[in-house]
Formats: sequence, C-alpha cells, structure tokens
Amino acid sequence: MKIYKILNNTAAVLAALAIASCAELEEKPESSMVSQQFYNTEADAVAAVNAVYADLNPSGQSIYNSLFQIGVEMATDDYMAGPRARNAHVRAISSLIHDPSNDRMQELWRQSYALIKDANAAIDHIAEIPATNISEEKRQRTINEAKFLRALNYFNLVRWFGDVPLVLHEISTLDAGHLNVVQATEAEVYAQIEQDLKDAENLPSVYTASDLGRATSGAAKTVLSKVYLTQKKWEQAAQKAKEVIDEGNYRLFDDYADVFSVDKENTVEHIFSIQFKGNANFRGNSLASRSAPYEPEGVNGDYADELNVAGGLFQSYRLEDRRLEVNFITQMVSPVNGKLYVLSEPHFYMYYDHSVVGAQGQSSINLPLIRYAEVLLIYAEALNEIEGPSAVAYDAVDQVRRRAGIPALAEIEPSLSQEAFRDSVFEERRKEFVYQYHRWFDLVRRGADYYIKTLTAAGKPNAAPRHLHFPIPQREIDLNPNLKQNPDWVNY
Amino acid sequence: MKKTLQQILLQALFMLVTVASATAQNVITGRVTDAVSGDPLIGAYVIVKTDKEAEGASTDLEGKFTLSTKKEFPLALHIEFVGYRGVDVDVYDNSDAIEIQLQENYRFIDEVVVVGYGQQKKGDLTGAVSSVKLGQMKSITASSFNSALAGSVAGVQVTPTSGAPGGGVSIRVRGSSSVQGGNEPLYVIDGFPVYGETFSQLNPGDIESINILKDASATAIYGSRGANGVVIVTTKNGSFNQKTQVVYDGSIGVQNLRKKIDVLNAREFAQLRNDALYDTNPSLGKYQYLSQSEIDALGEGTDWQDAAFRSARVTSHQLTVSGGGSNVRYSISGSYFDQDGIIRNTGFSRFTTRANLDIKLNNKLRLGLSFNGNKTDTDNAPSGIISSLLLMPPTATIYEADGSYTLRNPFENVFANPIASINERIDKTRRYYVLANAFAEWEIIKNLRLKVAFGANISNSKNKSYVPSYIYDGASSNGSASISSSDAYSWLNENTLTYDLRVKRHHSFNFLLGYTQQVNINESFGAGSNDYVTDDLLYNNLASGSVITTPSSSASKHALISYLGRVNYNFRERYYLSASLRTDGSSRFGSDKKWGVFPSVGASWNVANEKFFKPYTKIVSDLKARISYGVTGNQEIGNYQSLSTLSSSRYLFNEETAIGFRPDRISNAELGWETTHQYDAGIDAGLFGGRLNISLDYYYKKTEDLLLDVAIPWTSGYSSSLQNYGSVSNKGFEFTVSSKNFTGKKFSWDTQFNISFNRNKVLELGGGVDSYITSNMSYAYIVKVGEPLGLFYGAVVDGVLQEGEVETKGKYTGQGTPKPGDLLYKDIDGDGTFVSASDRTIIGKAQPDFLFSLTNNFTYANFDLSIFLHGVVGNELHNGTKQSLELFSGQQNADGTARDRWTETNASNTVPRAKLDPAPVVSNRFIEDGTFVRIKNITLGYTFGKRITSLLGINSLRVYASATNPITWTSYSGFDPEVTSGNNTAQQGYDSGIYPVAKSYNFGVNIKF
Repeated sequence: MKIYKILNNTAAVLAALAIASCAELEEKPESSMVSQQFYNTEADAVAAVNAVYADLNPSGQSIYNSLFQIGVEMATDDYMAGPRARNAHVRAISSLIHDPSNDRMQELWRQSYALIKDANAAIDHIAEIPATNISEEKRQRTINEAKFLRALNYFNLVRWFGDVPLVLHEISTLDAGHLNVVQATEAEVYAQIEQDLKDAENLPSVYTASDLGRATSGAAKTVLSKVYLTQKKWEQAAQKAKEVIDEGNYRLFDDYADVFSVDKENTVEHIFSIQFKGNANFRGNSLASRSAPYEPEGVNGDYADELNVAGGLFQSYRLEDRRLEVNFITQMVSPVNGKLYVLSEPHFYMYYDHSVVGAQGQSSINLPLIRYAEVLLIYAEALNEIEGPSAVAYDAVDQVRRRAGIPALAEIEPSLSQEAFRDSVFEERRKEFVYQYHRWFDLVRRGADYYIKTLTAAGKPNAAPRHLHFPIPQREIDLNPNLKQNPDWVNY
Repeated sequence: MKKTLQQILLQALFMLVTVASATAQNVITGRVTDAVSGDPLIGAYVIVKTDKEAEGASTDLEGKFTLSTKKEFPLALHIEFVGYRGVDVDVYDNSDAIEIQLQENYRFIDEVVVVGYGQQKKGDLTGAVSSVKLGQMKSITASSFNSALAGSVAGVQVTPTSGAPGGGVSIRVRGSSSVQGGNEPLYVIDGFPVYGETFSQLNPGDIESINILKDASATAIYGSRGANGVVIVTTKNGSFNQKTQVVYDGSIGVQNLRKKIDVLNAREFAQLRNDALYDTNPSLGKYQYLSQSEIDALGEGTDWQDAAFRSARVTSHQLTVSGGGSNVRYSISGSYFDQDGIIRNTGFSRFTTRANLDIKLNNKLRLGLSFNGNKTDTDNAPSGIISSLLLMPPTATIYEADGSYTLRNPFENVFANPIASINERIDKTRRYYVLANAFAEWEIIKNLRLKVAFGANISNSKNKSYVPSYIYDGASSNGSASISSSDAYSWLNENTLTYDLRVKRHHSFNFLLGYTQQVNINESFGAGSNDYVTDDLLYNNLASGSVITTPSSSASKHALISYLGRVNYNFRERYYLSASLRTDGSSRFGSDKKWGVFPSVGASWNVANEKFFKPYTKIVSDLKARISYGVTGNQEIGNYQSLSTLSSSRYLFNEETAIGFRPDRISNAELGWETTHQYDAGIDAGLFGGRLNISLDYYYKKTEDLLLDVAIPWTSGYSSSLQNYGSVSNKGFEFTVSSKNFTGKKFSWDTQFNISFNRNKVLELGGGVDSYITSNMSYAYIVKVGEPLGLFYGAVVDGVLQEGEVETKGKYTGQGTPKPGDLLYKDIDGDGTFVSASDRTIIGKAQPDFLFSLTNNFTYANFDLSIFLHGVVGNELHNGTKQSLELFSGQQNADGTARDRWTETNASNTVPRAKLDPAPVVSNRFIEDGTFVRIKNITLGYTFGKRITSLLGINSLRVYASATNPITWTSYSGFDPEVTSGNNTAQQGYDSGIYPVAKSYNFGVNIKF
C-alpha cells in the first residue's frame, strides 16, 4: 500500500513536470511582424511602399505636416513664430538665431532619413520577392514609387543641408562601418536624385481610383524639372516641364479655391499631394489649426504660425486677386456667440475646413505639394533664363495670373527685362504657393545677398550667408566621426 | 521564577505524603505568560517531551492550555513561542495549574527570515537580509504595502510617483544600477515572483512578514531578476494547534493637502497681465487689460486649488479568521478599503479575499494553498490636472453667469477649465486580480524533500473614460468615449528538492536544487468613438458615437526557464559557507545570449560561539561577521527588443486608409543581460543579551553590460538601438541599531534607527561616448561618466538685466531683442553669448547623500505610543510646476514670486519682468533642495483591560489614533518633497506636478473575538 502510494506520488509529480515544461524561449511576437516573415508577396510589396508614403506625414509634427513650416519656412520673410509657438527652438529659427542643436531641424533630418530607410528597405526587399509571388509590373511600380519618395527627400536634404550622407540600402547591422556613413557631395546627391526620378518616370501616368494619390510619372517629371531648375540646368528643366504640359494629364483648376477643396483632391491640377483626412482614424492637416486664430470664441485656433506682416506679402496682392480671400482671413464670426472678431493681422485660411469648426486639427484639406501651376512657373522661369522673357514664358505665367483673376503680364508689363521677368515669376510663386512649403527654397535659390536683403527688409536682421543652409545636427556630428559640419556653420 | 520554585518544593513535599495512584490519563493544565508584562501569550506551543505519543497543545486567548498524557509524573514539558526563548519545565503532579513565564528573546540570531526558496535563522545567514518591522507600517494610511516601506530598513529608498489613492511608488534597493532598464526590486509574494506592480490591489493587512534581500548572497538565487534586490512578502497563516481566532481591524480617517502653492490672486494677476501687455505694446498704455479701478474691484478671485482639493475620507475594514488543528492550519480574510482622493472626484476602493491553507496529509506529504482574489476600482484624475489648476487665472470663474462651466483659460494659452475637467470627465479603472499558488511537499526519505508548486497570477483591468461635449476637453470631439482592457496572465511552476544533512555532529549541510519556469502573457485592446448626440450614455454605447477612433490591440509573451542550486554549510555553528548558482534562460534576449549564469558565495563567522569569546558574551552576546560576492542580472527591457520587428502605419489613397509595414529596429542577436557584481561585508552584533542589536554593512556593486538605448546616427533611419554598453557602480554603507531601552512591566521603550549612504557613479557609457543628455522642453538630464545618475542639466541664472545694461549684457539673455528685466544666464561655453542649447551645465543631483529613519515605541500601562521619523538628505528636486508658474506671460497664473518681479520701479535682480513671450529655460532657478525630515507617523493606542473586554464578551480590544505625515521640515516649495515623476533612473527627482501626497489622521480599532 505504501509503495503504491509513493509510486503514485512520484507519477503525479513527474506528470506535473511534463505538463509544465512548455515555457519556450524563442520569441514570436504576436502583435508585430518580424522582417524575416515579411516581403514575400505582392501585398507585402504594396504595404512596404505604403509605409514610405506614411512617413510623409506621420502623427505628431512630421515633415509634411507642419514641420516643414516650423523648421524651414519660419526662416523666411513671409512667416514668423506666432504667439502660441512656445518652443524656443521654433522661435530661434523664426528670428534666425538657431544653432546646430536646434531640435526642429534635427527632426527634419531624422524624419527624412527615417523615410529614406523605409524606402531603401522597400527597394531592397521588393527586388527579392520571388517572381511567382509578384507581377513584374507591380514590382517595378512599387520600387519606383519608393524611388520617387526617396528622391523627393534627398532633394529636400541636399537643399537644406548641402553635402549629406547618401544612404541607398537598408542598414541592418550595428557595426560602426555601417552606421558611420560619410557625406556625399551635393553633385553626387543630385546625380542620385536624378537617377531615381528618371526611374520613377516609368510610373503610371494615371492610377485607377483606388490608388489615387500615389506618385505618378508626371509627379516624377515635375520634381525632376525642379531638380534641374535648382541646379540651373535650364534647358533640361524647361524640357521636363514641357513634357508634363504636352502630355496633357494636368491643367489648372478654373478657380484657385479648388486647389484647397476637399471634393477636388488628387484631380485636375494636383500632381502630388500630401493626403489628410480628419476624424477618420487618420490625420488632419495641422496647418489649419496652427494658423487659426484663438480670439473668436469657438474657433480654438492655435495661432502658432503667423504671417510676418513686415514682409509685405499681404499688401502685395492686388485687391481683385482671387488668391487673397482663399489664402487669408482678416475677420471672423465666432461659431459660438455669433460675434464678429476683427483679427489684428491676416491669418492663413486655405486649410480652414468648415466641416470641423472648432477642431481644425482635423482639417481634411490636403497639402497640394506639386501641382500644375508650378509646372507652368518652372517652365516660365527656365525659358526666361534660356532665352529671356519669350511669349511662351509670358503665357505660362499668365495662365496662372489669369486664373487668379489678375491682369496678364503680357498686358500690363509686356516688355520686361530678363531680370524683371525673373522677379515677376518669383513674385507669382510667392503669391501662388503661400503657406505651401516653397518660400525658403525660392529665396535661397536666389543667393545669399538676395536672401539677406529680403529678410532684413522684412524685419529679420539676423539673416546671414550661413542661413542658405541649415547646420548639420550637432547630435549627428557627435555620434558619427565621419560627418563634417557645413563650413559656414562651424563655430555657430 | 521564584514562585515556580516554591511551587515545586511544595509539590514535591505533597508527593512524599501522598501515594500517587496510577491513573490511565494525567491531565495537566497551565497558563503561559510574558515574564515582564504578565500578559497571557496566545498560541504558545506546549509538548510533553517524555511522551512522544501525546499531542501538543496551544495556549488559548487567556494563555491557558490543557494536555493529557498516559505517562506518569514527573513529566518534562517544553514550551515554545515565537519571539520568546523556549523553556523546559518539570512537572511533578497535576494538582495545580502550572504558571509558566517566558522571557522575550531579543537575540537576532534566533530570528527566522524568509529567503529565496526557503527560510533560515538570521544567525545562519551569510547574506544581507533586512526584516521590516511591520508594527510601524500597520497604522500608516497606505493603499499599498510597498508605499509604506519608506524608512523601514536601511538601504531602501521609497519615493511616490503619485499621491493619488492607489498610486505607485518607486523603490531603490542600494541605489540604481540600471540606466534605462528597470530598477525596481523583484517582489516575491508567497513564493510567486512579480515585477512591475503598484501592489495597490493587495491588502497590506494580510501581510505577516516582509524581508528584503539586499546582497548577492541572498539575491543571486533569483538570477536574472535579482540585481535590484528582492522583496519577499509572506502573508498570514494560522498555526497548527491553534484555537480559532477572529480578528476585526477597522479604521477611519481623513486626508488633507499638506500645503497649497502660493499663486497670485485676481488683483495681482490682473496687474501682471497689464504689465505683460504694456511690455509688448507700450503705446497702448499701462492698463490694456483692466483699469486700476476695475482691478481694485476684483477681490481675491477664484482659488482653483481650494475648488479642487478637499478633505478626503478613508475607511478600512478587515476580518480575519485563523486557526489550526494538529494537521491543518488556515487563515481566511476579507477586507474592504475605500479611499477618497484629496482631489475631488478621485478615489480608490478595494475588496480582497484571501485564504491560506496548509495541510499535513500524513507524515510524508504536505499540501498548501495560498489564494488571493481582489477587485479594485479607481477614479483617476484627469492627466495634467495639477498643472492646469495652478495655471488657471484667478480672474476666470468656475461657472459662467448662466451656470454653465467656463470653458477654458480665456487667454492665449488655451487649456480647459480644470474644475470642469475634474467634475465632469469620467475615467474609471476596474481591476480583477487573482494570485494563487499551490504546492505539494513530499518527504521522500528523511530530510529529503521534494516541493512542486504551481501558481497563477491573473490580472484583468478595464479602463472606461468619457469626456462630455459640454466641457472644453470634449467640445472639439463633441463627446469622446473610450474603453480599453488589458489581460495579464502569468503562470509559474517551481520544483525544488531540499536535503538536510548532518555529518559527524558538527558539519551540517543544507542542499537545494530546483527547476522553475514562468511565463507571462499580456493582451490588450482599446476602442472608442467620438461625436455623441447625447452625453447620457457615457462609454456604455460606443456605437452611438458617429466617429469611430482607431481600435487597437496587442499581445506579447515572455518566458523564463531556470535551474538553481544552493548549498549551505556550517561547522559547529561558527563557520558558515553558502554558495548558490542559478541559470536563467529568458526569451527577451538575442538568440546568442538566451542563457545567463548567476553564481554567489558567502561566508560568515559567528564569533560569539567561539570558546575564546566566552568571557565577553556577558556584554557582547552575539557577534557575527559576514562577507559575500555574487553575480545577479537585470532583464527588465520589455519584450522583443532583440528582433527586427516591423510596425504598421497608415496612409490614405483615394480617401481610404492603406496599411503599410516598415522596419522598426535593427536586430541584435547579441543583446544580453545586465550583469551586476556585488560585494558585501557586514557585521551583526547583539549586546546585553540582545537588548541592543547593531548591524553594519558595506557594499560595492558594479553593473556591467548596461542595457542602454545607445544613440545611433539618424542616417540609419533609427534613433537608437538597445545594446549592452557601459557600466555603473554603487557603493554604500548601511547602519541599523535597535535597542530595548526599558523593558519594565509598566513602562517600556524601544528605539530603532537606521541610516544608509549610497554613492552612485557612471563608470563607462561605451562607444567612446562620455555623456549623453535626455531632455525635452520641460527638463534635461545628463548621464556622464564619473558622475552619478540623475543629474539635472540646464542653464545657470546670473541675475536680471537692468536698465542701461542691454548693450553690455543683453547677449546673455538668450533673447533676440533683450530688454531690461530679462533673466541673465551664464555663458558657460565662453563664446560670448547665451544660447539655451549650448550653455548648459550640471545644476543639481537627484540622488540623496543619505537616508535615515528613527522609530521610538513606548508603552505605559495600557497605552502604547509610536513615533516614526524619516528623512532624506542632500538630494535636489527639479520643480517643474514652479518652472511653468514663472512664465510671467499674463496668459496664465503665476507663482507668488511674481509679486517681486522686475519692473521699472522695482529693479529686482532675481525675478524677471512680465512679458507676453517668455521662453521657458530649464535653469538652476528651478532646482531646489529636496532634503526633508518628516514625522511619517505617530500612533497612540490604548488596550482595554480584562474588565472591559469580558464585559463586552470579547478577548481583546485596542483603539488607536494615528497621524501620517503630520509634520514635515523641508525648504522645498512644491506640494511635497517626496516626489518623482517616474521610475526612470535618468529622470528621477523631476516634479512635473504629480498628484500630491496627502497627510492624514486616522482612528482605528482592533478587536479579537
């Protein structure tokens, strides 16, 4: 009996041990993917490239959702840090006293390379998907979409920072050899941008409805023409712009207001837009709330992005200019108490979404980053540089002016000098693309003297030649011994 | 004793004249009392040494016992009672009840402490283990036992991370050894290891003992989880052969805010706003906000603190039934705890049930069960509420004239009316918690025991929140509801084999071998919706919100498999040796580093047992020296950190969501443990028969292979990568004294004192990095080689810019256009200007120089008094609340210092001027001395005498009144100096405006039936 009992006990204990020994040390994350199990199918390829688009405006202050404004455009004549922009770093950029530790600029760098990382991962891995799992057409399309987005970001980086590291493959090991990259020259970076965009020219020129918003061949060509323009490769810039014009896939909206109409997103004039949609488990365009006033009861604006009145932009519009009332508001009726509030200064108004009064953070209005109006203005500018203000150049600018409801240049200033015409094109760009992330690039393209003169006149006397670039983030210099600060920024 | 001798003589005489007739059964009755107080000792165990067959007996509530034996007189009895010296008594007849008096045992070496996978006498330990004196904890109003540990033992620092009811604490045992990994100790509740809990779900009243394992000799048996110390909690159980005892504990109390923050009243604020507006636009005059006559008519305005804080009630009830027979012992308890928060509409309540059961099935087999099932409900305070309470202008009112809530701060700095948020936002968390552990212990052969234990820890918590549309917080979403739930489940299996062996009388061994495994599984989900037609349904009908917010869910799992072994050896109870080894395999680490080995050795020498020491034992009754070395680990980094995981993101095509997947992390197969090497040397001494006990420890801990989120160049696409890099050391000194000053019958007084010093230093950060900074807009810390962790980093204030100094000193203001009244800062990098990013230096340290506590217990007749004093000295705090209150923008309320601000007529050199646009600069101005000494607790009790209790038909009755945190000496200007905003080591000592710790007064009663 006793022996039986002991045996019984032993058996029970052993059984217990056997049942229990199921703890496992290999990790298999239940709610996230591991890279080894991904990049196998066409759906994976599309998801991989979708993630790169998502890097354009992830939640929080992201490159194309306000960071461009806060970290770049503040350093121009047209914008300044508003009363509710509390961040000292933002205020520093606005008054041009920023240094290499400026956190907004560091964010631009960080987020750009995060996007490039995802583009590189997509390009590397989509190429490895077995042919049985993906059509060649889809493979090329998704790779080229990623290349377009990578080029778009390198184009930003090279203009902001000058010589930057050119990372073209996913970094997947932690050794210093892989992490401590070296800078490429501006010329090398531009060469890569051109190459990526040339590949991206093979993208579809139009998409079926469900893919509306993806990068098109036209988008690649437009960015490429701007890349040429920025490098003063006037002939090639004009040629690419003309290709877009001649292909006829895009034209101007009849009404400038349609540029910011939710109903007309990704159509007609829009070549490539940053997508927003409020209250839809996605993101609103935060420029709407950043520019909205806080005084009128019920608007709940942030007013962190302010028009720099001293820059004279508002006054420079003709009164009949349709863009004036689309881009600005000067008085507002409170949605709560019905009182009329006269605003102390004009506020940007194009992103104000009337479907979300009081919660402009949820504005669904896209950021129209690349549109046909710019193709026309690039064409006009390039032609003017090649052959002076020709009739074709005049016509290109005047298409934009006529749409805005103001007299054509050909009518009022028919015989401008090359220089005066150049000024007119830039002036048109300024009015057409206000609060759309263009101003800083346009000022810098005209050189240090012009930049300093313009900013000084606009009440920003701290502008200096070094401001044609942003400093390489101090953190990167500290971490990566191979990186060198932009010579203009050494000792700042 | 004399009495007993007399009795014995009398009894012996009586025996001589009377011929004792042999009877079948001898029944002995007696009473066991305390030799000093004469109080009956309840539960003392009496056996007949000369009769192995007879059953032992426990004393009842009057200290009485009854024994029967078939053996004849004279009989030898042995009486034992925990905390008393056991005695042998010879009994010659049973004509009278015998009176037995026990002497309290003060000798520490006989104290039994619970250690990892077993228990030991304190005299046998080679490691540093501190036992918490539960007495002083009992009357502290604390919702969790660990928050009451402050000051309890040397070397343990306890800081609340929130003063909210049910709020958490941060505990450091012998300093911080990890920079980014967890630094909290491992808790072992009735044998079940638990990490990362607030423990507000457990009833502190259920706890029998808390032992804190500090050195590696004690903690290495917990291997990869031992580096931060181990807190072993044992809950109450009954005793074998104990009569059923029913105990009721109840208390009621009131809690209050310790102090208010001095902010401006309405008149002062209006003047500030006028000044700020004038500063921006002087052409519009000095009264742009309100005219002088309007200001004069304002009065005090709204005191937002008074509106939010209240005297809050706390009640507690507990009923415990415990007892045992010869083969079974048990304890069953139920409790209810209900605490209102000192902020309105916040609170915490808890129901607990516990059953502990221990059964001897036969001589070989023992079964045990410990079961704990609890429910807690928390009403959470809105996040950031303290900050908005302080910043809300006093000129604003809580309600509009029509009775509706004022929506928000009427000025530029827009935030919601805090009282509306407190009153109307609903944020409730309900948690169900089960901790159950069952074991079977089988003595295979004599002294060889196999113990198999299974346990489960189930925690289900659900959060429900609703923000109504009629307050500012919910206006833009038009009502916002969300529900989230998290399920945590952990199972444990422990199999241990122990063997006790004595060789040749003087060599005694104790062996332990074990195999354990523990798996933790977590799942969570959340859902919500906005835009409600009605606010009436709250969160109970998410489908009635027209805008659905993104639902979320996640799941994760981690596992630990361990093999462990330990040998304890002693020779003649003089020389002790102990060695342990644990091998842990954790799922959390890289494929190349799954397994870690954690050995320890310890030795001690019981000097007092040496022959040569005999002459001194009159004075030094016990003397013991200890030394140990061991290796422990830390694995608190979260799950899946070594894998190259992908995360999902969303974009929009044709206005529809498209899902993307992107790489999250560079994989690191080399990711391994943090390894802590700890050396400890200690001396324990007992003087005058243990009336004075002293314990002294010195330790050195070096932690290597820190789990550091090493910054990597952003050009990789990532910001950081978790790697094993660098090392940190802690060394320190701990001193504990306890003394029985008086042990008289009527009056007794004892004192406990402990003090501990810890010095922490970063030795290496790896990758050639000398320091790194973590900062955001509100705070900055630097981790620097050669310095301790927790250094505040920022600008140094250097006066205020005065009239006429703009040209010379304006560049030290950090302002584009400096004006008199701006703060001046030191130009630390010497480049001729002040830039907030580059002109920073170390401005303070969050780690204290030392901690101490002093407890005095007095009894006088039926009264008892206990005074518990605790102090933390030499640390600094970053007063984040004050930092935001010193932005004199006139857009929000300001600190009282604003009264002395720089104006054209008041050339202050410390307080800046009012201006609309002040830039927040982290500076030494907001680093304050965090030193405090406080009376943590005073308790005065009265135990009613027999006459009253028998009249009431109960066994004992004690009532007490206690005060928690009644008096505090500190120069800290925030709500309370016991504060930290998080558990993160590199960010300790930052007061971001956490829910303030309250002071409280309690009245309680303890009744034994």
